[in-house]
Amino acid sequence: MSKLNKIARKSTWVDMTAFVDVAFLILSFFMLATKFKPPEVVKIENPKSVSSENVKDKDVLKVSFDKDGRVFISFSNDKDGKEKAQLTAEVLSRQKGLGLTPTEISNFIKFSVGGIGVPVQNLKSFLAFSDDEYKSFQQPGIPVSDTLNNQLNDYLGAMLTGTGGRRPANVMLNGDNATKYPYFKNVLAAFKKNGIFSFKLVTSLEGVPSGTPLYKTQNKK
Amino acid sequence: MGADVSAPEGGGHKKGPGVKKQTRKDTKVDMTPMVDLGFLLITFFVFTTTMSTPKAFKLNVPDDTAKDEEQTEAKASGAFTVLLSKENHVYFYEGQLDAEGKNFKSSNFKEIRAELLRKKANTPEKDFVVIIKPNEQASYKNVVDMLDEMQILEIKRYAVVDIAEGENALIGVTEGTPAGGK
Repeated sequence: MSKLNKIARKSTWVDMTAFVDVAFLILSFFMLATKFKPPEVVKIENPKSVSSENVKDKDVLKVSFDKDGRVFISFSNDKDGKEKAQLTAEVLSRQKGLGLTPTEISNFIKFSVGGIGVPVQNLKSFLAFSDDEYKSFQQPGIPVSDTLNNQLNDYLGAMLTGTGGRRPANVMLNGDNATKYPYFKNVLAAFKKNGIFSFKLVTSLEGVPSGTPLYKTQNKK
Repeated sequence: MGADVSAPEGGGHKKGPGVKKQTRKDTKVDMTPMVDLGFLLITFFVFTTTMSTPKAFKLNVPDDTAKDEEQTEAKASGAFTVLLSKENHVYFYEGQLDAEGKNFKSSNFKEIRAELLRKKANTPEKDFVVIIKPNEQASYKNVVDMLDEMQILEIKRYAVVDIAEGENALIGVTEGTPAGGK
């Protein structure tokens, strides 16, 4: 008993320095590894595939469709992407007689990074929006379901006319899991009609199931 | 000269007259707020970071406008047709569809792999072709999953084709809804 009482009380002070070291080490890792999420107006859940090639972000034309089949078109936020967005807006304005002002065209370039999904006839009023209005506005999507009125065709056609048939280096198709097949088919139809036969689907990575032929080929190397 | 400067005796000059006794302060710094700050920033970066970068799945589609003679012909015996319907339902048949739908079978995404592998093993490579026919109820995920299956099983020839009315009707009969659940 007496022995127990004699145990010296130790200070409760804990040296946090090592903890700080760890915290800041992790912090610096995240700071270096961070790539901020690009602005997107729609939430899209991509399907999975075994494909391991990374999506490129230079000179991109991306066509997205969400689970309700709303179709959006977007260009990358670099020199090539901006140039293509501008040409698309200019040609579209000329072809459809929209009469877009230079401000509206520059808005097209700005909005196209996040995605533009409005019918051609509504484009002019849409481009008059401010940044805040753009963010809060529920875009109806580019109509594709009607074969006679596949407006994605018009957008893609305007872009290819503007660039003289030079297609972007990375044509991406960003679809949501739950989208019904006909929308996908109609988007494909618009691509085909404009002579774009090779493109990439945005997917997230999934492991190759063991025992399958691809698994065997990969493990042979 | 040297003797004067050096060698303070005993406890050094502190103990000399007129020098106040300096209490030694603790040099320990409380790092707790710094840890708090550090982890606050970490959480911020964790939430804003996208770690899994999206992957690109290459897809080449055939040019439909090509002339008939340039199109690849598929031997009926080597064809394996996969039909996709709502709620991940998968149906398949080999060769040509029997008039009464006798070779029309129901399957799922797990079992279809074994069927495809069996067909692949039993068919000459140049004849083997997989035809994917999603109906209107099929989701984009199903189509991509099936295309992915082609990568996994290393099937070189496959095509996504529109579903025929008769096949859709068969799916409808199987699922108990008329005309393919339209």
